[in-house]
Amino acid sequence: MKLKLLNLIYSTRFRLIASLLVVSLLIGTLSLIVGGNMLYSSVLTETRTRVREDLNVAKLLYDERIDAIRMVLEIIADTSEFKQALASGNYLYLDKQIQNFSGRVGLNFAGIINDNNESYGRLNQQVVGQVTQAVMNPLVVRAFTEVRSIAGTFVMDEQSLRYENPELLIKAQIATSENLPAQKDLKSAVAQGLAVGAAVPVRLDGKVIGAVYGGVLLNGDTSFVDQVGETVFRNEVYKGRNVGTSTIFLNAQRISTNVMNRNGERALGTYASSEVTRQVLDEGKLWTDRAQVLSDWYISAYEPIMDIFDTRVGMLYVGTLEDKYLDVRKQAIVLFALITLAGIVFSFVLGWYVTGIIMKPVNGLLQASVAISNGNFSPDIGPPSKCDMGLLQEQFKIMTEALQEREKRQKEESESVLIQSEKHASVGKLAAGVAHEINNPLTAVLTFTHLILRRQDLAAEVRDDLETIASQTERVRKIVKSLLDFSRQSRLDPQPMDLNLELAKSVKLLSNQSLIKGVELSFNGATGLPMFSLDRNLCQSVWINMIMNALDATQPGDKIEVSTQQVISDDKNGAEIIIRDTGSGIEPEILDKLFDPFFTTKDVGKGTGLGLAVSAGIIERHEGNIRVTSTLEEGTCFTIWLPAIRLLGDHCSYPTKYLRRGA
Amino acid sequence: MKVLIVDDDTIVVESCRRILHAEGIVTQHAGTVEEAKAVLETEVFSAMITDIKMPKQDGFKLISWVKKHRPEMSVLMMTGYLTPDTQNTGLNSGADAFIAKPFTPDELLEQLYNHITCKF
Repeated sequence: MKLKLLNLIYSTRFRLIASLLVVSLLIGTLSLIVGGNMLYSSVLTETRTRVREDLNVAKLLYDERIDAIRMVLEIIADTSEFKQALASGNYLYLDKQIQNFSGRVGLNFAGIINDNNESYGRLNQQVVGQVTQAVMNPLVVRAFTEVRSIAGTFVMDEQSLRYENPELLIKAQIATSENLPAQKDLKSAVAQGLAVGAAVPVRLDGKVIGAVYGGVLLNGDTSFVDQVGETVFRNEVYKGRNVGTSTIFLNAQRISTNVMNRNGERALGTYASSEVTRQVLDEGKLWTDRAQVLSDWYISAYEPIMDIFDTRVGMLYVGTLEDKYLDVRKQAIVLFALITLAGIVFSFVLGWYVTGIIMKPVNGLLQASVAISNGNFSPDIGPPSKCDMGLLQEQFKIMTEALQEREKRQKEESESVLIQSEKHASVGKLAAGVAHEINNPLTAVLTFTHLILRRQDLAAEVRDDLETIASQTERVRKIVKSLLDFSRQSRLDPQPMDLNLELAKSVKLLSNQSLIKGVELSFNGATGLPMFSLDRNLCQSVWINMIMNALDATQPGDKIEVSTQQVISDDKNGAEIIIRDTGSGIEPEILDKLFDPFFTTKDVGKGTGLGLAVSAGIIERHEGNIRVTSTLEEGTCFTIWLPAIRLLGDHCSYPTKYLRRGA
Repeated sequence: MKVLIVDDDTIVVESCRRILHAEGIVTQHAGTVEEAKAVLETEVFSAMITDIKMPKQDGFKLISWVKKHRPEMSVLMMTGYLTPDTQNTGLNSGADAFIAKPFTPDELLEQLYNHITCKF
């Protein structure tokens, strides 16, 4: 299981897919973080700017409201009928006028005062008489003083509210929400009203004869905030809440708002956060940032409301629900994540596909290799690839062809070796059987011949004949002995030996014979040869036999060179023994039969034809090999290769095969 | 001196007999291992020359038997197929010497005298 997993991890397909996945993940995550945040912050900045602009619009609407009241009052006060009515004290007309314009502009309170501070009429109030200083409208006071229209925001206390209309006092008393802690002068805020309005002096013949005033109490008023909501935000609703909200604060308390509380009611009586209060109300600064409005976060803008005495009496607020933009960010993140996911899926599919394309020829080669190792030397390596793999396929094809060639050659070689060894085996069996049977009669022949030869009374002629019998029987004995040696395959008795030393001995042994024949026999041993483990007697018989053969093939004046050299064959260390002569050479057609038993080129009686066959057998049993090259009239070269002792660790050890045989 | 010759081939027996007679040695012969054992039960010999490859029982059996029942007698084994294996088996069975067939009279006598006479 673990191995399978490892194989999977190390597979080209997995690696390619993994790298593609990593790349797409990296890009996806990066764009998720960077893109998401950049998008959000740009949206946020944009929204802030927009909210600030919305606040300006709201302020404009606020001012317009005041202006509208002022203009209406100015128009009324400028009519001659109105002036005459005021001058003549036509209360009925005046009251009618008050009712008229109040209804048209939507005023909560209105009144007419003459220059003696006597009320000539008020909205919904029939009382006529002196107006005390305490309840005198501050707008009117300033209008008299400055002899001009005064319009703006002002705060009405409990007394003046009651004076204007007791209902207004009830309207102004907004229950303080219990959830937000009060900041400052909470009590007064409850009984106060924030109002906008105007007072216009009435002139007759250049003399101020009175003033007309009117206004709207903003406490609990919905028309303004709803107008803002409608004009600026088009009453957009997001998840059941108003996207755009606007509020008028008296000090820090909401007195007119379209912000809804949990119960879906207007959140009147609640307070602005202390942070906003401090910055806007206390310090008179603008606020444009995130702000918590009740439980939700809004991107909001606040600005102070100044009364006609330039005192900060409240705040105007507009805000946009942050959730909408947070959701935009969420959506963006989800979108990016989806794109990343799509990228991952795509890279997986792409990786799979591309690996398929790349690996197809490789897999073909892989299967071909398996086929080759199973002995099929003409495997199907699939269609030739157009990419680099094609080159590999081509090389692979060349390799398989070379392997096929080699396999064929080896097969032929091993077949010939097989034939040779079968030949040897059958000859051996035959020889053994024959030799044994021949030896008994030969014993008799030898015995009786020698017994007769012992007699002293033999004629010389008879003695000669008998001696011929004896010598020829000896010849038979030799033939039979070599047949037996050939077939016997006796156990090897390997001993560690210095090859050069052994060869030098053999060469010296034959130096007399070569001297007699007039052939130059030399030995040249290479230095640094490894140690060998060989059967001394058998091996000596081999090279003596070879040198004798060379002597037989040479004429006086020829040369025989015996030499050694270190040669590594099939990764095995060893040495070659080269016996080269400048003799008559061997005809190419009989070169193959040289190692066959009973094959001889020598005259009858001079060779058994077993020498080379036996020699080759001995060398083979030492795991070596013997080969011959020859050119007619130029000479012959026999090369014997023998493996050296394999060294294990720091001590010599004989090949196990030899150890077993020697045991 | 009395020598027992054991071989299933009469010509070999005859050859040995003639060589030994010429030396004045008395011989007795047997064609099989059983026969040899029977002879050895009744007669005493200085030495025995035995073939190895014989029908029914081979020479090694005989040599082992001789070493058990006639330990004082020398044994010369002869074979037409003298391999190191045969040689070792023979010597392990108790043979004192060996000789390969065919041999000349001198060769046989040399082996006999070298390895047998020293026991007398």
